Order: sequence, then structure tokens, then C-alpha cells
Amino acid sequence: MIERKSLGETIEDRAKIYKKKAALVFEGKTITFAQLNESVNKLANGLLGLGVKKGDRVAIMLPNIPEFVYSFYALQKLGAVAVPFNTMYKGREVIHILNDSGAKAIIALTNFAPLLNEIKPDVPTLEHIILTGERTLVFVHPESTVSLQMVHQKGFFSDSDTAYRRIGEVILKALACFGVKDAWYKHRGSVRVGGKKIATCVISEVEGLEVVNVLCFLGPLVTDDFFKVIWVPPEVKDKVLEPITSVEEVTGKRPGKEEFKACVLSAFSEKLGVEIEEGPLKRDELFAYEKQRALAKKT
Amino acid sequence: MADKWRLIYNPEGDAADILAYPSALVEGRLAGKYLLSREKIPDTVVVQGVNKKGILAGADVRVDKQSAKDHDIDVASYPRSGRGGAKQTDTVSLKELMIKSSSKFSAEEVDLSDTALLLYTSGTTGSPKGVMLTHENFLGEFELVEVIFPLYPEDRIVGVLPLYHVYAMANVLTPAVYFGCTLSLIPQYSPTELLKNMAEVQATVLIAIPSMYIHLLQISKSRKTSIPKSLRSCISGGAPLPLTTIREFEEVFQTQLSEGYGLTETTSAVCLNTTGEGYRPGSIGKPPLQIEIKIFDENDVELGPNETGEIVIKGAMISKGYYNNPEETAEAMKNGWFHTGDMGYKDEEGYIFITDRKKDIIIRGGFNISPREVEEVLFTHPKVHDAAVIGVPDKSGRETVKAFIVLEESETADPKEIVEFCREHLSPYKLPKFVEFRESLPKSATGKVLKKELRDGYKDERLLEKNGK
Repeated sequence: MIERKSLGETIEDRAKIYKKKAALVFEGKTITFAQLNESVNKLANGLLGLGVKKGDRVAIMLPNIPEFVYSFYALQKLGAVAVPFNTMYKGREVIHILNDSGAKAIIALTNFAPLLNEIKPDVPTLEHIILTGERTLVFVHPESTVSLQMVHQKGFFSDSDTAYRRIGEVILKALACFGVKDAWYKHRGSVRVGGKKIATCVISEVEGLEVVNVLCFLGPLVTDDFFKVIWVPPEVKDKVLEPITSVEEVTGKRPGKEEFKACVLSAFSEKLGVEIEEGPLKRDELFAYEKQRALAKKT
Repeated sequence: MADKWRLIYNPEGDAADILAYPSALVEGRLAGKYLLSREKIPDTVVVQGVNKKGILAGADVRVDKQSAKDHDIDVASYPRSGRGGAKQTDTVSLKELMIKSSSKFSAEEVDLSDTALLLYTSGTTGSPKGVMLTHENFLGEFELVEVIFPLYPEDRIVGVLPLYHVYAMANVLTPAVYFGCTLSLIPQYSPTELLKNMAEVQATVLIAIPSMYIHLLQISKSRKTSIPKSLRSCISGGAPLPLTTIREFEEVFQTQLSEGYGLTETTSAVCLNTTGEGYRPGSIGKPPLQIEIKIFDENDVELGPNETGEIVIKGAMISKGYYNNPEETAEAMKNGWFHTGDMGYKDEEGYIFITDRKKDIIIRGGFNISPREVEEVLFTHPKVHDAAVIGVPDKSGRETVKAFIVLEESETADPKEIVEFCREHLSPYKLPKFVEFRESLPKSATGKVLKKELRDGYKDERLLEKNGK
């Protein structure tokens, strides 16, 4: 006989019956029914604190990780509506679903943040972007990519919208220096040419500092080899990457790294009024640099 | 007067450098602040290139180390960040949200007819619609599962299907919790990962799609893998699985493999074609007592045995409709029956057979052509690995048949050869007029070919437009 209970009540019930029995197994670890219910409760309380109420729609953009299960059942306990969708969706597909459902919040993997940041102005009802997991993935290539990073005091830009916009302007200026004329900057994130990405930008903050990571595509990025190292099903391979283009594809010529440096520097002084001088790492930084490299290569 | 910034230029670094420089700059600043080393570190710009290919991977990304070595690719992993690590601006950390909160919460009371889940359908036609699924719909599905595919607390179910899909939501996640089973989550599918996981947890139940069963069979043959013999029951759904594969899988894995049929609007499975006595090749099975399935003509008049029409369904697991879309809801739920858009017939014994999707039908000079019929002929060609058939306009604007073909590895073929092959098996008006070879076909998460994406002028939804949407 099936009990006439809601999905939220069901998990509460099962935690009482099965307590220490394994509910989930993930990467060799076991999560019991009691632990699952506790995590669900914590997240339900957390979401409540953000203002998620009965009947609200909350999107979920996660792979099969325990956080998906926590999110789904936390929403059920709140009496809210879960709106999970395909993690391979991009651009307009995501905008359509978020707008159609009127989602108040989205729970997503960290690596979807650039996409979500970018489309946020097109989704007026979306109040919160809640991030989890550490699945960022970036490909770098000697002939195709060059990275531009910044670490500065958080107050340098008045707020994060401004930070994204002004860094976007710097990139546009640098690209114009190579003859890329019709690049445009969409709110927070990418610089595009004809809908395709030519540069991406992510801004994070830590302890009063702002960290900017820009990846710029100078030449076409061939991704075949990368996909031999990271396995994805063949039919979805082209969906893993958003369509990208490069300076070379747009102008017919690939700039060198020296040229990139020169253009970035002049863009900085023109757009941000900043003077820059080349210099080495200092003592405290060198120590941290060695440590970080060892960590990055270890795992 | 603004401070002078510093530039660090590292044109020939490696992947690890791209991670190390910004963190070193941050840590250096913090060291200056906390350890009072008094070294004042300026705001800094870093420009870096790499001297070979590299991958910067988050701590949770699975990387094949050997393959990285073989392809001369540097791999740099982000260290797992604890609480208080760098956080993207204007976002909330789920971890923090949970750490700060109480572990006590009593489920809100809800009406069982309230929407619990809004699922956007895979969009093989038109723009995605939000299917509303209620608590009652799930209870209806559990009732059905209890009868046609019973689950027990001793069961260990493999969660390899993406949970955002109705198939996993209604046949994997929620029943696993409901029936007290153990669910093993696989975040990133690969055939070896799946097989390994099945062996590790001694899985008793596998719910998957045809391609996964085919992959599992392939690797079970090609390698000296130990085959887990713990599986007691499996379901395949999303697309048909050839009978020979079913039989072979059952033998190799010593299990039972049934085929399920269901849609998002029906809270996933409504029918199961179970191998054994009641098995009918090509059928989706006989409707269980919990639901009613009929075959309607275009005026919603019920058709007799072996007459082909639209499959319509009634039952507790049928959705109450599409979110904010009363027109589409009214049309799909006409006369109280959910119209599936699938064409098929019932035989004298009540077994249901699907022949096609309603909207996929190609009409050439007044004749209906079933793309599926043409595809099935193409599948029998020894060089053909995968195929999809759609209707496209010819020069005079009349609808005609176009075939997309993925050849078996290292095979070549020319269009003529394919058409000639079809000629042996199909009436002339059904022959493909155009043949296009592709490396792969666009597919949905459950392996359904996304025919919309094969059409000319298909707009890549991933592109963002500057003006408007």
C-alpha cells in the first residue's frame, strides 16, 4: 500500500525507519538516511533564510551529486517547486526555462556561474545564484589561449557590476588593437563576436581582494586531445563547450603574446587610468607560489 | 594619485602557473597583513601564456592521468577550497548556507495536488514546455512501480541517468527513497565508470538507456573485466533496444532486462515489456491495471485492435498540465485523456506497439511516410552505425525524405549505395532523396535523436544574441 504523503514528509519518515541504513553512496562514501535528512533540513533552513517559500520555483542545474538530492528534498520540505534542467543547456535555453518558470533562485555547479552571471539581466525574477561543487574546467593551449589575471584591492571598482563592465571594456579595447572591431560585451562574463565567445571573464573575491581571471582566444582552439583526457559521451561533446571563436578566425592573423601584453597595457592605462611596471614576485609571494604549484600538480 | 600597479609577464609557463600566480598574489598579501612582514604588495596584473597544452581542473573533475601523459597535456588541479576560499562575486555558497543552518526542519504541509516538480520536456518539437508533476503523480508512479517493478530496502540501485530527467526522477531517485533502497550516484557517465560502480556497490538494480546497455556489453567482451553478477533486474527506456542485445545482456550479466515506456507528462514509466512469458518483441507491453491506454483516431474516437492511431493515457500519474500554458494543456488533455503524440496500435491481446511519433510523419504527395520505417531499413545496412530520417523540402517545396547517417568506424560509403540498399526494402516514394554523412547525431540526455537540430536553418540555442533574444 502506498502512503498518501508528500515527498517532503516521505523523506522525514524514511529517516525515522531506516536511520543508519545507506541512502546514498557517492565516491566511496556512504550517506545514511538520517544524515541525508539532516543535510536536507540544513539546506531547507538555509533556503528559507534566503526567502524561499512555499510555491516558489527554484531551478537546479547539477549533475548526479549528493547536493542534487539535498536540493530536491529541501525544496519538497519547503513546499517549493523544484525545476531541475539539463546541465548541458546553454544561453537561450536556460533563459527560457528560468523566465518561463519564474525561478527565484538557482542552485548550480560553480562552473556554470559565468553563464548564469551573463544571463542574469535577462531573468528579472532570479534573486539568488547558489553555487556548489568544484568542477571548473579550462583548456589552455600555446597557440590559442592567453590569460590575463588581476589581483587588487576590492574597492578599486565601486561594485561587481562595474568591475565586470570595466574589465570588459579593457578586453574590448585590447581586441580592437588587433583589429577585432565587432566584439561586444554582454553583462558579466564573456566578450563575444557574432554570438561566439572570444574571451571569458570570472571575478572572485577573497579577504577584501578581488581576483580576475580572463582567458582570451588568440587562435582556434582544437579540443580533440583534451577530450581524450576528460571523458564525455561523443554525442554531447560539442555541447560541453560553448561555441568559441578567436582573433585569428576573425581577423586572419594571430597576435603574439608580446603584442597581447602591449595592447593590454595600453588598454589598462587608457580605460582604467592605471600605470603598470613590470616587476618580480616578492618574498611572501614566492613562498606561496611554490606551495600552490605543488598543490596544483599533486592531485 | 593612483598607485602604480605591477605586471608579471610569463609567456612560456604551464597550466600550474595559471593557477599559482593569482593565489600566490593573494597569499602574499594576506601574509603581509597577518604576519606583519610589512612587505607592501601592489595591485598586480598577470599576463600568461603556456608552452604546451593544459587543463585547469576543479577538484571534482575526473581526469585520466595516463591519457594526459600520452597526449602531452599538463593537468593542474585546483586545490579543494575550504570555507572562506575565493568565492565568485554576488553568489551564495551552498556549503556555507548549510553550515550556518539548523539540522531540524519539519516538512511544510502541502496539498498532494500541488506541483512538486516542473520539468521542461526535451524539446524534440517546439520550445520547451514546463510539465507540472504533483505529489499525487509521484504516488501514482510509486503504486505502479510497486506492481510492475517492485523495489526493496535491500536493493542497491545505480544512479547513472541524469537526475534532472523524468526517467531518473520518477524511476530512480524518488522510488529509491520511498522504498528505502540504497542509491549509488554516478556524476559523470562512462562505460568503465558504470561497470566499476556496479561491481563496487554490488548493484542489484540498473535503470539506464539503450546506449549504456550496448556499451556495457561491448566492454564486457573486449576486456578481461569481471562482470558483476549481482544485478537482479534492469530497465531500459528512452529509445528501443534490439532484442538480440536484450538477450545477450541478460545472459552475460545473468539478469532480467525489461523495456519501459513513458513520457515526462506521465511521470515516466507507464508500461513495461518484461522478458519471459508475456514478452512481445517490439511491444511496450500491456498496460497495468493502474492505468488506461487507448488508441484514438484524429477525432478522439477509439480504434479497434490492430488499427493505428494516437496513443492516449489516463491514470494517477498523468500531469495536470503545462505551466502557464492553458492552450497547450487543453490540447494535450483533450476529453480527459493525455494525448502522447506517439502513434501505435493494440493487438487482440492488448499489447501495445508504437509505430511512430505523430509530428515526425513525412507527407510526400499525399502519402504518409514513417521516418522510423526508413530508419529501420538503414539500421540493417552493415556499414551504418546510426541513422535518423527527417522530412525536408525539395526544390519545388514538396516534402521529401532526408537521411542522416553515421557510418561504422573506418567505413566509407557513398549516398548512391545507401539509396540503392533502401530500394530493395522500401517503396520508391519512401527512398531518401538526400543522404548526409555525419560523425554523430545530436541526441537528448536519454539518447533520443533531436531531429529539430538536424533541420536546415536550425539555430544553435547556445549562441547568445546581442540584440533581443
